[in-house]
Amino acid sequence: MKLVDLIYNKYKIISVVGMSKNAGKTVTLNYLIEKFDEIGAVIGITSTGRDGEKLDIVTKTEKPTIFVMENTIIASAKETLLRSNAKLEILEITNSRTSLGEVVIARVKRSGYVEIAGPETNTQIKDIANRMIEYGAEIVILDGAINRKTAAAPTISEATILATGAALSRDMNNVIEETVFQVELYSLEVIEEGVSKLGLSKRFKDKEFIIIDNEGKSEFINITTTLSSGRVIGEAINGDSKYMVLSGSIVYKTFEDIISVAENYKDVIYIVQDATKIFVSSREWKILKKKGIAIRVMNRINLLAVTVNPYSPYGYNFDAKDFLHTLEKRLPNIAVIDVMEGENADN
Amino acid sequence: MPAGKIDYSKIKPYGDTLNDGMTQLSFTLPIPCDEKGIEAAKQLAAKMGFEEPSVVHAKDLGVGYTYFILYGKCKHTVNYEVIKVVKVETGVMSRKEVEAYILENLKKDIVILGACTGSDAHTVGIDAIMNMKGYDGHYGLERYKGIDALNMGSQVENEELIAKAIELKADAILVSQIVTQKDVHVNNLTNLVELMEAEGIRDDIILICGGPRINHELAKELGYDAGFGPGTYAEDVASFVVNEMVARRRK
Repeated sequence: MKLVDLIYNKYKIISVVGMSKNAGKTVTLNYLIEKFDEIGAVIGITSTGRDGEKLDIVTKTEKPTIFVMENTIIASAKETLLRSNAKLEILEITNSRTSLGEVVIARVKRSGYVEIAGPETNTQIKDIANRMIEYGAEIVILDGAINRKTAAAPTISEATILATGAALSRDMNNVIEETVFQVELYSLEVIEEGVSKLGLSKRFKDKEFIIIDNEGKSEFINITTTLSSGRVIGEAINGDSKYMVLSGSIVYKTFEDIISVAENYKDVIYIVQDATKIFVSSREWKILKKKGIAIRVMNRINLLAVTVNPYSPYGYNFDAKDFLHTLEKRLPNIAVIDVMEGENADN
Repeated sequence: MPAGKIDYSKIKPYGDTLNDGMTQLSFTLPIPCDEKGIEAAKQLAAKMGFEEPSVVHAKDLGVGYTYFILYGKCKHTVNYEVIKVVKVETGVMSRKEVEAYILENLKKDIVILGACTGSDAHTVGIDAIMNMKGYDGHYGLERYKGIDALNMGSQVENEELIAKAIELKADAILVSQIVTQKDVHVNNLTNLVELMEAEGIRDDIILICGGPRINHELAKELGYDAGFGPGTYAEDVASFVVNEMVARRRK
C-alpha cells in the first residue's frame, strides 16, 4: 500500500519528525504534498520550527523549499508569510505568539513557495491543527523542527513518519543503529488491558506518580517530576511492587538512582505515557535492558513509515541503495521509503 | 556610514581601496610547517574564494600542526540592501520601569532561572545578565526588585535545570549557549524544549536562549520564545519576560 493510502481517510493529524537536522523532513513533506495533490486531498501544513527557508541559519547550507498547491491551508508566523510568494487568503490571526510574529492561518489561493513557522508549543500546535481541520483540511501535517520529536506524541498527532538520513552521522552504521533504536522506542509494548483500566490517562493528565502492588493497591509518590527524584521513586519499591506509573519525562539518571536504592527494581514494570517521554540514548537503553528494566507505554506511537535521505549537506553521501536496503532489513515491520526515489517497490 | 559611490547591493571587504576585497584570515592545518604546507594553505584559501592568496605568517605548533595567516582578495559580494534581521521588538524598559511594571501588572515576584547548559562552561554571557553587578554599567537581574533570579552556573544538565524550575515554579528560563556548527549544542538546546514538553511545563514557562551566535530566528526553529544575541543587557531580557507574561495572561 502506498504511504498516502495509509493516511488518507484514516488520520486527520500526522507528524513528520526527524532524527537530526537536515535528515530530510522537508523532502518528506514535499513528497506528501505531491502525493496528496495527486489524489486531490486538501491538506493543512504547519511546523514546530521553521521550514522552507532557503538557507539553514546555523550551517548556512541550502535547504529544500516548500511549494504548496491551491486550497492548501497553512499556519505560519506573520514574518514568514510576508516572505512567501504564494497568494494567500488570511483566515484567522491566532493568539499564538512566536518570535516571528503571530501565527496566521491562511488558505492558498494561487500555488507558490512558502516558508512555514508554526506555533511554539505542542498544546498550541494541537489547537491550531484542529482549527485547520475546521477550515477544511482533510489531513494536517505537523512538521517537526531539527531533531524535536515530541509532536509524535499520540496526544498531539495520530500517526507519525520518521525521517532519517546521512546528516545524522558520517558513519552509515551509526545512522542505522540510531534509527533502529528510535523505531524500537516507538514500538514499545503497550501496557496490558487490566492496568490501563486503572484510569491511567487521568493519572498522566494530572501528572501523578503511583506505585501499584500485586494486589492492585496503589500509593502516591510525593514528587512533582521524576527528574532528580530517582532515589525517592526507588525507595517506594518493595517486594510486593508490581507497577510504577511515571508521569512526565524519564531520563537515564532517574533509573540509575532507582537501581542504586531499590533491591526489587527488576520486579516492577515502569509505565510511561508514550515513547516521546523517554529521554535515553541508544547506549543507555542497552544498559537499562541488560539490567532488567522493563518499560511499557500507555499509548503507542503509530509509526507509518521511515523515510531515508542518503544525502548530507555536510559534503558526503551514502550509497542510496545500500542505505535503503540495510534499513529495510533491520526494520521488517515498517515501510522504509527513499523519498527522493519514490515508492518504486510497492509494499 | 561612508558617503560616496558605495554600491550597497554588492558589498565586499575594504583593504586599501574600496572594493579591493582584501581580507586577512587565519587557520590551523594538521600538516608540517614547510613549503608544501604553505602551498596547501594557499590552495585552501583559493577554494574558499580568495584571489591571489599569500601566506604572510606560518608557525609550527608542534605535533605536526601549523598555524597560518594569509592575505587574499575576496571575490564574493553581499547584497546589503535586502538583508533583513528579525529582532525582539518589545520596547525596552529601564530597571526601574521593569520593577514598577512588575508591581503594577504582575503583583507578585517573578522567578527567573539561568544556566549554561550541557558541556558549556562559558558563563560570561549569563553572568552579565543575571549577576548583581551586571555588565557595562547595566545591573543584572539579581539586582531587580520583584525578580527572584537564580543563576545555576555552568555545565548544568537540562534535567537538573528543569527539576529546579518545577521546584521553584519558575516563570522564565534563560539558557546561555555557544551554538557552533557541531550539532551537540543545537541538540542540547532542543533537548531542553523536548524535556519541558514531556514534563508538560512548556506552556507555563517563558523559554529564552542567548549567546554569541543566537538570534530570534534561530530561537524560533529551536522552539524558544526568544533569542538574544550579543549586545543584550539585563533590561532587554527583563522587559521581554514581563511583557510576555502580561500578554499571556490576557489570552
